[in-house]
Amino acid sequence: MLNRRSLLQTGAALAVAGTARAAELERVRVSIIPINDVTPLFVAIKQGFFEQEGLMVDTSPSSGGATGIPGLVAGSYDIAYGNVVSTMLAAQQGIELRVVAPGTKIQEAKNDHSALVVRRDSGIRSGQDLEGKVVGVNTRNNVIWLYARAWIKATGGNPDRVTYKEVPHPQMEDAIRQKQADAGYMVVPYVTLATAKPEFEKIAHPYSAVQLGVDVGQYLATAAFLQAKPETVAKFARALRRGITWYNANLTNPDLLPVISGFTKIEVPLLQTLTLAPSPLAVEPAQMEKTMQLMIEHRLLRGPVDVKPLIGPTAV
Amino acid sequence: MIQSTAMPRLGGAARREAKRTSRAAVQPARPWLHTRASGLALILALLVLWEASARLGWVQSQSWPPFSAVLAAAWRGFTDGELSLPLLSSLGRMLAGYAIGCSLGVAVGLLLGGNRWIRYLVLPVLEVIRPIPIPAIVPPLILFLGIDDALKIFVVALASFVPALINTMAGVLGVDDVLLQTARTFRTGWTRTMLRVVLPATLPAIASGLRVAIGLALVVTIVAEMIAGSAGLGYYIVQMQYALRPDAMYAAVLCLALTGYTLNRLFLLGEARLIPWMGRG
Repeated sequence: MLNRRSLLQTGAALAVAGTARAAELERVRVSIIPINDVTPLFVAIKQGFFEQEGLMVDTSPSSGGATGIPGLVAGSYDIAYGNVVSTMLAAQQGIELRVVAPGTKIQEAKNDHSALVVRRDSGIRSGQDLEGKVVGVNTRNNVIWLYARAWIKATGGNPDRVTYKEVPHPQMEDAIRQKQADAGYMVVPYVTLATAKPEFEKIAHPYSAVQLGVDVGQYLATAAFLQAKPETVAKFARALRRGITWYNANLTNPDLLPVISGFTKIEVPLLQTLTLAPSPLAVEPAQMEKTMQLMIEHRLLRGPVDVKPLIGPTAV
Repeated sequence: MIQSTAMPRLGGAARREAKRTSRAAVQPARPWLHTRASGLALILALLVLWEASARLGWVQSQSWPPFSAVLAAAWRGFTDGELSLPLLSSLGRMLAGYAIGCSLGVAVGLLLGGNRWIRYLVLPVLEVIRPIPIPAIVPPLILFLGIDDALKIFVVALASFVPALINTMAGVLGVDDVLLQTARTFRTGWTRTMLRVVLPATLPAIASGLRVAIGLALVVTIVAEMIAGSAGLGYYIVQMQYALRPDAMYAAVLCLALTGYTLNRLFLLGEARLIPWMGRG
């Protein structure tokens, strides 16, 4: 018979079980950028994939993304989402980082939604047309800047004759409209919103045009962390892969939108206008080497970086 | 002690009252433009201009919402806690850093003002640190202090420390010699001279240092939060910028303006109560 005493006992037992369960979970602090690229991570959290591996993932967004690697080195984070160019730059500076899981990859041209945007009446069509003009990029000397330059070169322009101006993604549209920039390399969702207006148009998708298959972003850890806790990293990568698989199978599932809205704070109706691109299950070392070659060509790296040791066993 | 501070306050109030009545007698009907109301009217006019520029399409931008939308976002933010919680967390960090920085600043300032040798030793270091803009040292500091509260409290403390110290030191150095000589004539001991003569005479200078520091502390807290970490009003502003919610972003900015104004007002009020001899020869 269910009386008050047995109810209390059950409650107490459950409470004990609950705390024991929370105590068993290992806390992993992950630095993220609040953009769609990290959705599979949040899917894995929501679906309980990390919990099933015995991990509790604590995410900490950094809007600029500039604090991910310093935060890793300082020990504020265990894992950070970062882009391939930052990883190489850190490697050249002797910071021992390891790629532990895949993040974002442009596998097919149709899934490359980031684009170079111009005013429709500008007449700009190629890199050659951009000589002497201003191109807006979110950060100079980073991944967007690199591929904008590479595209300009590939389409007959001299990337050194173009001025690159730093404009935050949300303000890129205004900068182009007000002619502070002639073109802007924009990412989702800002590109989708801008190009829905008749005054703007996309002229190129530099990632896929320059290097189809490019690994744009990855999850990183310090070499020391990977060495000290290989099991934790393996669990993280395993749960994240389940998140990626779920995400790729549910790209049009409306349940995804509240998840994305939860960490980007972008409202759901706006998210409904976006097309989501699938996430990769592995990092391709050959693609990272191609990026490294581009970085040397555009003087971001002084010399080659040995890519193979950068990639941890859980990333491939 | 209580009586001695209460007396001049009464005197001050009476004097102000007298001034007001005499001024009113000289100039009975001032045009409203010459009163404080004109300042308020200018603010209102600028806000109307803001509203009109957004509603009538004078400014075409995704990031330029009408002021009424900003007010609505502020209301929403305060009712659901989305804005009020980051504000409280920012204020908490700010006050912690401010308290640490100011206590150290005043203590070191008293020491430097009172001893020439220590002043010669420490001042050059201080002059080197002073001009460094705080945003410039946040990224390298991450390597030592991490990304969370310790970093922010440290930079706020550093930003508050300098004006507190400089003003306190200048206050000590500026203490009227006659006061010190009088104390010496009465053979007053060092501690008593410091506590009963130097400190009261220095308090107005300390207070103005602390007031400069409180403005800086708020700015530095927000800047540090914008650069690093994921908490507080500074982070909220950047987050809303990237989430394409400019109304919420400006609501946070508005909230900051009001917070800065309120802090300054509260400070002036406290000053008038605790240091009634402030601003008098």
